Amino acid sequence: MNLLIKTIVITTALCLCLCATAQEHHDHENHATPDVHEHHDRNHDGADSGPATHAGHGASDGPILARTQDIDSALAQGGEPIVADVLGVVCDFCALAMNKIFSKREEVAAIYVDLDTKALNLVLVPGASMSDQTIADLAVQAGYRIADVRRGDEALGTAT
Amino acid sequence: MRALLLLALGCLTSIASLARPVSYAGGWTVIGESDRQSSSALVHYTPSPTMSLGLKTEVNRDSDFALYSVHPTFLAKRWFGADYQGNLYFHGGIGVASGISDNDGSDQMAIYGGVMADWETRSVFVGYRNRYLEAGNYASQFMQVFRAGFAPYEGDSGDLHTWLMLEIDHRPSDPDSVTATPLVRLFKGPLLVEAGYNLTVNQPLLNFTYRF
Repeated sequence: MNLLIKTIVITTALCLCLCATAQEHHDHENHATPDVHEHHDRNHDGADSGPATHAGHGASDGPILARTQDIDSALAQGGEPIVADVLGVVCDFCALAMNKIFSKREEVAAIYVDLDTKALNLVLVPGASMSDQTIADLAVQAGYRIADVRRGDEALGTAT
Repeated sequence: MRALLLLALGCLTSIASLARPVSYAGGWTVIGESDRQSSSALVHYTPSPTMSLGLKTEVNRDSDFALYSVHPTFLAKRWFGADYQGNLYFHGGIGVASGISDNDGSDQMAIYGGVMADWETRSVFVGYRNRYLEAGNYASQFMQVFRAGFAPYEGDSGDLHTWLMLEIDHRPSDPDSVTATPLVRLFKGPLLVEAGYNLTVNQPLLNFTYRF
């Protein structure tokens, strides 16, 4: 009887957890992009032939595009640069999750998650586009949340 | 033979329950743990970013029984910040407990559940986990673990990340109910490995997590 009571208690607790989790997931979906601002600047700069570097800061708040070989190569082919500030990215598993989710997308030519700047750096394949909402939704799939998205010259730090 | 295989598995693997028990949507994770009382292996799949569902095998060396269970974990809440992340999880499982080694007891239904919570920045980590296990004639156990640690340097993506941690565990049913284990966590890409030594009962701690 003792076992039965404990079993019922634990099962009830698990059911409550399921309900709470479902509600939380619903909340995430409804508030996935509270601070995302749309940017439509499609201009981008050419490739940087220098070594891979961490992002600096451009004219706007937030880091500019980090440079890796893949990112430079994708930029040289004319892909759109995107920098997204990510909340909660504090470890390599976080970076791995973002990489796995975004790399599956055919629009993405290059990706680098910079833990120092907490920024998701993307370059799209030439001619492809990805909305801020899609970026936010994909970040939620990875378990994180986007705070801001910058594109084009703003992402490259060349906006005036 | 089955007992030998389970013990070998237990010696080789361990469960890093305090390291991201829910992955990204579509991700698989293999986790192992070996502490002063038990060794276990868990494989889980994450269908949504708020839950994972796994199969777990746990060998309790003190009480000579093995546990085979379905193991769901739910992310109840994640707190986000530019420089931190906090998580509250509920975990549980239901399965069968069987005697191993010299324990010829019959199979018993087993059920367990508990709470996990953690908060971390790139250089500070604190975490807590508890579990109540009811395994018929084999065990009625409560345990809780508190862990705190720091990273001596902040590695970037793909770098080797190193953490120094102290784990305090409390198992009221054990003669040594409270023990302390200093450990090192090494983290690179999809692999996390932890190695420590329980100073109270002189037992090693070995954990790993591999995510893909």
